[in-house]
Amino acid sequence: MKRIELIEKVEGEAKVTYHISGGEVEFAEISFFGSRHIESILKGRPYMDALTINPRICGICGHAHLIATVRALEDCHKDISIPAKALEIRETTLSMEMIQNHVKWYYLTILPLLSDEVDYMPALEASRLCAEVISLLAGQYPHNSYAVEGGITSRPTPADIFSALERIERLKKLFITNFVDTEGVSLPSCEKVENILSLEGTLPTMLRIVFENGWEKLGRSHDRFMVFGENSLFRRGKSTGTRIYGVPDVKFVEESRVQGSEAGLVRYRDKYYETGPLARAMMNRTSLVRDAHRRYGDSLLSRILARVCEIPSLLEYAEETLMNLDIDSPSFEEPPPFPTEASGMGVVEAARGSLIHRISVENGKISRYDIVTPTQWNLGNGTRDEPSVVQRALKGVDENGPLELIFKSFDVCSVCTTH
Amino acid sequence: MKEFEFVYHPILPSRYTLVEVASLKAECDILIIDGMLADDLHISDRPFGDLLEYYGEISKWILTVGTCATFGGIFSRYEEREGKGLHFDSGTPTDTYRHLFDRSISIPGCPVHPETLVSVLRSLVLGYSLPLDKYRRPLYHYAYTVHNGCTRNEYFEYKIDEYRFGESEGCSFYEKGCRGTFTRGSCNRVLWGGVNSKTRAGQPCMGCTEPDFPDMNLWETKKNMGIPARMPLGIPRRAYLGFAGIAKTFRIERFYKRLFDEED
Repeated sequence: MKRIELIEKVEGEAKVTYHISGGEVEFAEISFFGSRHIESILKGRPYMDALTINPRICGICGHAHLIATVRALEDCHKDISIPAKALEIRETTLSMEMIQNHVKWYYLTILPLLSDEVDYMPALEASRLCAEVISLLAGQYPHNSYAVEGGITSRPTPADIFSALERIERLKKLFITNFVDTEGVSLPSCEKVENILSLEGTLPTMLRIVFENGWEKLGRSHDRFMVFGENSLFRRGKSTGTRIYGVPDVKFVEESRVQGSEAGLVRYRDKYYETGPLARAMMNRTSLVRDAHRRYGDSLLSRILARVCEIPSLLEYAEETLMNLDIDSPSFEEPPPFPTEASGMGVVEAARGSLIHRISVENGKISRYDIVTPTQWNLGNGTRDEPSVVQRALKGVDENGPLELIFKSFDVCSVCTTH
Repeated sequence: MKEFEFVYHPILPSRYTLVEVASLKAECDILIIDGMLADDLHISDRPFGDLLEYYGEISKWILTVGTCATFGGIFSRYEEREGKGLHFDSGTPTDTYRHLFDRSISIPGCPVHPETLVSVLRSLVLGYSLPLDKYRRPLYHYAYTVHNGCTRNEYFEYKIDEYRFGESEGCSFYEKGCRGTFTRGSCNRVLWGGVNSKTRAGQPCMGCTEPDFPDMNLWETKKNMGIPARMPLGIPRRAYLGFAGIAKTFRIERFYKRLFDEED
C-alpha cells in the first residue's frame, strides 16, 4: 500500500511516498521540487555578485550561504589575511542566525506536532532579537552581504556592541523562561535526560509527551555522523555513534542526480552520513546528548535534544565573542588582486549541518558554482537497499506513528536543498 | 496583527493546509503572493494559474510581496523558465492578470521590509489612504530613496570619491556600485530591525526594490569617462556635473579625517 503525503512548512514542501507493508513503513520515497537553478544563474556573473545572490538562496539560513561564499572566494587566494575582528564578528552573526532558526523550528515545526495549542510568540520574539543583533553588526537581516573578501564592510562601535549584548541577554532569559530552567547549569552540560524531565518548561513537557507515547527510540538511522566545518564551538570529524575516527575530506563527497527529486543526492565514500546538531554533539561529546544517545540511539529524541542544546551554547558563544572583540582593530584588509583563474571552497556549519560551496572563477567571472546543503545529506532519495539518513529513520515505523515528527526532527530546508 | 487570521501561511500555524488551499477550499480576503511566477509552477500538483484565478477572484486585494512576485527578480534570470512578476516582467507591464491589476498592490524588496508589509495590510483593512506609484508600490514606503537617511550622505554631497570597506567614513556611490540614490525604499528611514541599514554598515545598495534587480556587476560603479553612468533619481546629468564640478573645487578637511580620531 502506498500513501503519498505533502510535508508542509519545511521552508517549502517535500513529497513523501510511504510504502506500507504489514502496518509498517517499509520504504519512503523523498521528493523535493521547485529548483530555482541558482548554480546556473551565477555562471558568467562577476564573482562578487555571488555575495549578493547567495544569501537569497534561503530566508532562514541565507547568512550561512553568505559566509560559505566569502570563504570560497577567500580560498581562491593563495595568500590572504583576514583581520581577527572580522572573523569573530562573522562567527557572531552566523551564531545568531542559527539561534533564530532553532527557536523557530522548535515552536513552529516541532511543538505543533505534539500539542494543539502552541503559543509561538517566543519564536517571533527570538527571531526579532536575533535579526536586530545581526542588523547592528551587518546592516540588515535577512539578506545582507557584509562579509566580503578581506573582512567585513561594517565598523561597529562600542554602542553597537552594547546594544547587541543587551539583546543576547534577553534571548538567554527567553530560553530559560520558555524552554527549560536548568538552574544555573547550561542545558548541554546536564548529565542525564531524566533530570530534565522534572524541571519546568516547554522542553520537559515535550519530552514527557514523547516518552508517554513510547516514541523515544523511533527515528534511529545509520548512526553515522559527519561535521565538515570547524570553529571555536564545533569540531570537524566523522563518527559512528560516539566513536570518532578522523576528519572528513571533501574530495570524497559525491553529489548525484536522482530520479523523482530535484534535490541532488549526497554521499561520502558511497555512504550516507547525518550532519547537523546531533552530529556536532557527537564530535563535541556533549554530555546531555551523549546520555540520550546512549539510551535511545540516534533517535528523534536525541536529534531534537541536540538541536535545542545548541541554543544556549550558541548564545554563550556569541556573547563571549562580542565581549572579547578588539573593537578598534581593523574590520577589513584590502585583499591581493583576484587571480585570473582560481578555484576555492567554503565550508560552514549552518543551522542544519555542514554547508559546502565551491567556486571556479576565470577572468573575474564565475565559471562554475556548486552548492551542497545539509538537507541534501540528511534527506536524500536513496533506495531500499541503500536508504538515506531519513529513509533509514522512517523504516519500520508504524504507519500511524510519528512519521512527520521523525521527518521534521531533521529540520528540513526545502529551498536550500533544491537551490 | 490581531486584525488578521492566517488562512494559510508557509510557516506559521494556519487554518488550512497547502493541499486544502490547492484544492480551492479556503476563504481569502487578502491574497499574498511571493516568489516568481512561471508557466510550469505547480502547487500541490495544481497549476499555479488555477489558484491565481480562483483566489484572485474571491480576494478583496492581492499583494505581491517581494521583488520576485512583483517584477520577476533573481530567479527570473534563469532564462529557460521565463519567470516574471504578477503584473510586470522586470519593468514591462504584462497582460495575463490585467483583470487583477486594480486590486493589486506591489510590495517589492529582497526581502520585503516587514514594516512595509504590516503597514500596508493594516491600511487596507482599516481604510487608510494608500497612494500608489505606477508599479502599484505604496508611496508612503516607496516615495523615499534608500539614500534618504544614510549616515554617509555628507560624503556623497561633497563628492568625496574615496571608499574602503570596514570604515565608518565614505560613500560607496562612486566606486562600489551603490544604487541608493536611484532606488526606492525606506531602508534608511525605517531601518532594518529598527537599528541599521546595509549602506550604514558599509555595503552598497543593490537596488532590490526596482524592476531591474538584480543588475550585473552589483559591486562596481559603472562609469562613462570617469563619471558614474547612472544619476541620482531625477537629476539631469548636466546638473550633476555642475554640482560635482563646484564641490570638487573645495577640499573640506573634515571629510578627509577619520570620524573617531581625536583632535590634536
